[in-house]
Amino acid sequence: MFRAGLLCVVSLTAAAGPEILQKRCLSCHNPQAKMGGLSLASRADAARVLAGPMAARVSAGQMPPGGGLAPEEKQQLLAWLEKGAPWEGSLAAPSRPRAGRDWWSLQPLRPQSGSIDSFIEASLQSKGLALSPPASKRTLIRRVYFDLTGLPPSPADVDAFLADNSPAAYERLVDKLLASPHYGERWGRHWMDVIRFGESHGYEQNHVRPTAWRFRDYLIRSFNNDVPYNRLILEHLAGDQLAPGNPDIEIGTAFLVAGPHDTVGNQAEAFKRQQRADDLDDIVNATASAFLGLTVNCAKCHDHKFDPILQKDYYRLASVFAGVHHAERVIAPPAQLAAFRAATAPLEARIKSINQSLDALRKQAAPALPAAEKRVRAARREPVSPFGTEENFAPTSARFLRLHMPANAPGGLDEIQVWTPDGRNVALGARVEASSTRVADGNPDAYHARFLTDGAFDKRWFAAPGSAPVTVTLEWAQPATVARVSWSTDRLKAFQGRFQQPTLARYQLSLSTDGKSWTPVASDEGRLPDRAGEQERLFVLEALGPAAAAEFTAAETELAAAVAALAKVEKPPRAYAGEFRQPTEPVYLHKGGNVMQRGDPVEPASLSALPGFSLPLDSPEAERRLALAKWIASDTNPLTPRVMANRLWHYHFGAGLVATPSDFGFNGERPSHPELLDYLAQRLIHYRWRLKPLHREILLSRTYRQSSAWNDAAGKADASARLLWRFPPQRLQAEAIRDNMLAVAGVLDPTIGGPSFSLYKYTVDNVATYFPLDTFGPETYRRAVYAQSARSIRTELLSVHDCPDSSLPEPRRVVTTSPLQALSLLNNSFTTDMATAFAKRIAAHPDPVRHAFLLAFGRPPEPAEAAAAATLVQSHGLPALARAILNTNEFVYVH
Amino acid sequence: MSTSRRQLIHGLGAVALARLLHGGQPHFAPKAKRVIQIFCPGGVSHLDTFDYKPELEKRSGQPMPGGEKEVSFQGANGNLMRSPWKFVQRGQSGKWVTEKLPHLGALVDRMAFVHSMTSRSNTHGPACVAMNTGFVFEGFPSAGAWTSYALGSMNDNLPAYVAIPDVRGIPPSGPANWTSGFLPAQHQGISFNASEPIRNLERPATIGEQTDKDTRGFAQLLNQRHAARHPGDSELQARIATYELAARMQLSAPEVSNLAAESKATHELYGTGSANTLLAAYARNCLLARRLVERGVRYVQLYCASRASGVDGLLNWDAHKTLQADYERHFPILDQPTAALIKDLDARGLLADTLVLWTTEFGRMPTHQEGTLGRDHNPDAYTVWMLGAGVRGGSAHGATDDFGRRAVSDVSTVHDYWATVLHLLGLDHEKLTWYHNGINRRLTDVHGHVLRSLLA
Repeated sequence: MFRAGLLCVVSLTAAAGPEILQKRCLSCHNPQAKMGGLSLASRADAARVLAGPMAARVSAGQMPPGGGLAPEEKQQLLAWLEKGAPWEGSLAAPSRPRAGRDWWSLQPLRPQSGSIDSFIEASLQSKGLALSPPASKRTLIRRVYFDLTGLPPSPADVDAFLADNSPAAYERLVDKLLASPHYGERWGRHWMDVIRFGESHGYEQNHVRPTAWRFRDYLIRSFNNDVPYNRLILEHLAGDQLAPGNPDIEIGTAFLVAGPHDTVGNQAEAFKRQQRADDLDDIVNATASAFLGLTVNCAKCHDHKFDPILQKDYYRLASVFAGVHHAERVIAPPAQLAAFRAATAPLEARIKSINQSLDALRKQAAPALPAAEKRVRAARREPVSPFGTEENFAPTSARFLRLHMPANAPGGLDEIQVWTPDGRNVALGARVEASSTRVADGNPDAYHARFLTDGAFDKRWFAAPGSAPVTVTLEWAQPATVARVSWSTDRLKAFQGRFQQPTLARYQLSLSTDGKSWTPVASDEGRLPDRAGEQERLFVLEALGPAAAAEFTAAETELAAAVAALAKVEKPPRAYAGEFRQPTEPVYLHKGGNVMQRGDPVEPASLSALPGFSLPLDSPEAERRLALAKWIASDTNPLTPRVMANRLWHYHFGAGLVATPSDFGFNGERPSHPELLDYLAQRLIHYRWRLKPLHREILLSRTYRQSSAWNDAAGKADASARLLWRFPPQRLQAEAIRDNMLAVAGVLDPTIGGPSFSLYKYTVDNVATYFPLDTFGPETYRRAVYAQSARSIRTELLSVHDCPDSSLPEPRRVVTTSPLQALSLLNNSFTTDMATAFAKRIAAHPDPVRHAFLLAFGRPPEPAEAAAAATLVQSHGLPALARAILNTNEFVYVH
Repeated sequence: MSTSRRQLIHGLGAVALARLLHGGQPHFAPKAKRVIQIFCPGGVSHLDTFDYKPELEKRSGQPMPGGEKEVSFQGANGNLMRSPWKFVQRGQSGKWVTEKLPHLGALVDRMAFVHSMTSRSNTHGPACVAMNTGFVFEGFPSAGAWTSYALGSMNDNLPAYVAIPDVRGIPPSGPANWTSGFLPAQHQGISFNASEPIRNLERPATIGEQTDKDTRGFAQLLNQRHAARHPGDSELQARIATYELAARMQLSAPEVSNLAAESKATHELYGTGSANTLLAAYARNCLLARRLVERGVRYVQLYCASRASGVDGLLNWDAHKTLQADYERHFPILDQPTAALIKDLDARGLLADTLVLWTTEFGRMPTHQEGTLGRDHNPDAYTVWMLGAGVRGGSAHGATDDFGRRAVSDVSTVHDYWATVLHLLGLDHEKLTWYHNGINRRLTDVHGHVLRSLLA
């Protein structure tokens, strides 16, 4: 019995070893992929690691990458190894375990002959399907307007198009819209999704980047000007090198730093390194996913599990970006910089020379300084102290104390005490009123004035930052004779040392019995200043004697004037476009992705799966970025044109030929029409990388112009219209819904570019907090692309309609349907405002209902609709009709 | 169901909506159906709450052996510093707990502790987000969103996932803690609390009830006609249904927030009438949490404290300089209401299928921060617990060293913790995935082992 049981255990363990290898290791270590030159398919293959290395790496949790085996599996595998790894037969490699260098997207573009329609029709025919008939002109104009500009056609636009019977009418419409400045707003916004463009830092502090909008304007401008895509790539990665001094191009490097960045300082070494590694990771990921459609970031800790991307490849790209740092930098034309320098140089020289005179006077004072210091100290009272300051005065009867402090008084106070001659604090529990109190959002209590008399020193009152002169009034229950007032900022000495809080240094104290007439009893008059610098100044003045002291103060006045003049010189514009510094050390491979485990240094280079470049470890920073940019933007890089052509298709039809637009690897979807994809990629190069001709070719195809009408037979074969037997209907993107409301209401402010407007109230108390607005002024009536896009922040109407958070790239927005969308469209004050404006607009028209339908849907109402609308309007007025229309499906769907 | 199939279904509005309403299927028989996750932002000191270290008391004032002048998040550290409060043994299990949490201490026999938690970040924002999403970077779905995605809603008139921020404000990194990330937006945590209702819930004040009704009626008429012209497009019907759902939510949400419907005894149990206004506010949020799960809300995230203020430790558990004053402010706020919530859930039979989680960002150093009487961040050791459905009360997993500086036995991560929570919900954490940018993403990244010692 016992023997049998034991045998049973042994044989179980024996089987478990290969089973675990099959399950956990073979996807990489199979005879084809042979990651790390190792196959584990048979005992013979695995021989060299069975004796020791496998046990070591498995028990250390290094293999498999990403955390090792589960405890029970680990135990079983180690037990099996210890038993001499009994193993018969060989393991089958998983079928198509991963992509190799022969992966489809890495192959050169294959020449194709045909047209968009011929490729689509060929694949439809193979399934017994065909294109649908052309869409109606009304449907088509609405479709192409939203597609190219994100805005609806006006009733006049629709009428003109309907009236134009020439065969070129549609072509002319397409050309007009491609030339519209709204094209760049729409397609620039798509690109911002792809490249995780956001206007705040993200992470804990999440402060706004006030100059990030300049890059947004650059993108819109570039799309409108149809800057060739291969040129755009160069500008994104190395605009500073292409056209130094040309702000319109230099700004392109904002792409590199458009992602999140942790601004919280960290003293711990491992975490400092981690923060830097995270910055580089964001840049590598953004670059590889946007331009190449590759998930290179999956190779940070180990070789890519599915694609032919080595861990070393990841660090090659990191090495390319090793000199890129998050920062604003001055981006201005040379003339403006020269003018700035011309204005500031004399002032700076002046400041330098005054400082020299002051230093000379200080030197002159030096011999007499010790004696002077003694005299000043003797003549003055003790300086105030954050740990406690007191004022004594003649006993006075009072029920009120008033403390006046000048504007911008620093620091907070933890307690104010008012003492009777016999040592009783009458202010304990006294009522306090402060003319200014700092507010921490959501917690008006955080710095409450009542902490001043609560008898405890842990909580502090603070005046609001940047306040006018402040008054604090204490009122206690019974009049009392008082003779001393004391206060402190840090009585517990909790902040002593590095964290010293400045305390109140300028003040006046008054007492009152009735709260009306006040008697001054003390002030800071005659105190030695509490700051060392100010003390030093007094000693110097005393040591210099009257004449030289006058000279000293005159120089100080001049200095202040020069500093003020310097501050007034208009500064050249800055933009959040990154700073570049030559790295002082190479980038090292991080073993297992751990920043504290350095492997070999890695040279800046392209990805090993494709022919490319490699630069020396210490090559100049800018050369690295330029080399990568040229490699990506090359006509022979098979990924770049495929990925971009597919993005265009994705936004025109709602789904790409490759349905995962930033993943052309093993985990991504395979192309639905591989020949068409290669055709489009080659057309892009043929058009010298300009997007507009490619848009035009797509938009003029019969595939794009066909009806979206449902057809049961075709629907059965291909429900999602992946093969494009119809034009797939689409819900408007979040931005287009909001823009459409503004446009239809007739209040859209069409201004292009400039600083962002805000859909939240922004407050900063160490960290930033964003409160969604409850009311929306006309400054928010601009297109949503100009709404400041802070990371991780929900902006109601936009967020519920799937506008992505820019913390991560979003190449493909999910489209959801939820009750919160209904609530925000029904009840948010923005809708009510738009309904009111819309109602006002149609009221001016002889047939308001008809006009409302024309504006909102691009069609007149049917009789039943008109009748129902009339009933609604009769009972509840035009605003009810307007609000209803803004909530309809027809308003937010394009067919 | 394969990921791509599941994602395809999300693309089809009607089916997605049905799923949102009626829920998905767990992978195996669940122990828990719903979750209340309490979160204390700022990084609660394990050394002053649940991780008793006699050696730290003994050697207080001495340099930490092997860790002299160690530099952590804010800078240099001083000597070892004992907890300002006594530890006492509570419950049948004799668990050592700080004397300052008397109400929670009474419940230790129900709690399962993880004493060996470690965080990947020593900074508030990333550490908060890591605890809630499994990733230090923002943009990943929170545990509540994954739960909503996996199991759907249990009601048709309230959100599936609610986040209840503290009256003092939102936690570090704010909404990134209850985001749906790249999951469909309907899995987003809806944030409101006992003092701030759901936004956009109420009909605008300027619009009368009948006007609202007729307006919506007319919109639905247009929608039905439009849908009839476009057969085969199920999204259109789905969107029509959301307006009905919204109407239901408009009726139900005010009802769930009406705490006045609760008995006086219940209010006293929670402490909603406390003179400590912050305690009272948190107590009301606890009561709201119970009412939400009672009405079928799947996942409630409940915050006790908020973000990092200009003064450390004022608004949350981030006691850098004045540990004693800070925690004497925070302990009572947490203690009575949280204990009341647990007792109330139990009394109503809800604890049988509800999981209560207590979580934070990271722990704190056993040394005092140089020049202060506070503790700096410590990502190498912290304590969390869970109790309720399927949890083995009075158990503990893992341990820290003699001083609580580092987790040393059965070192655990948020991925292990969430693997365990998902397991209790009947979900295999390796199978709950969503394809995004090249990877089938999981709440547990590529890590995580179920902490079986915590299971009943």
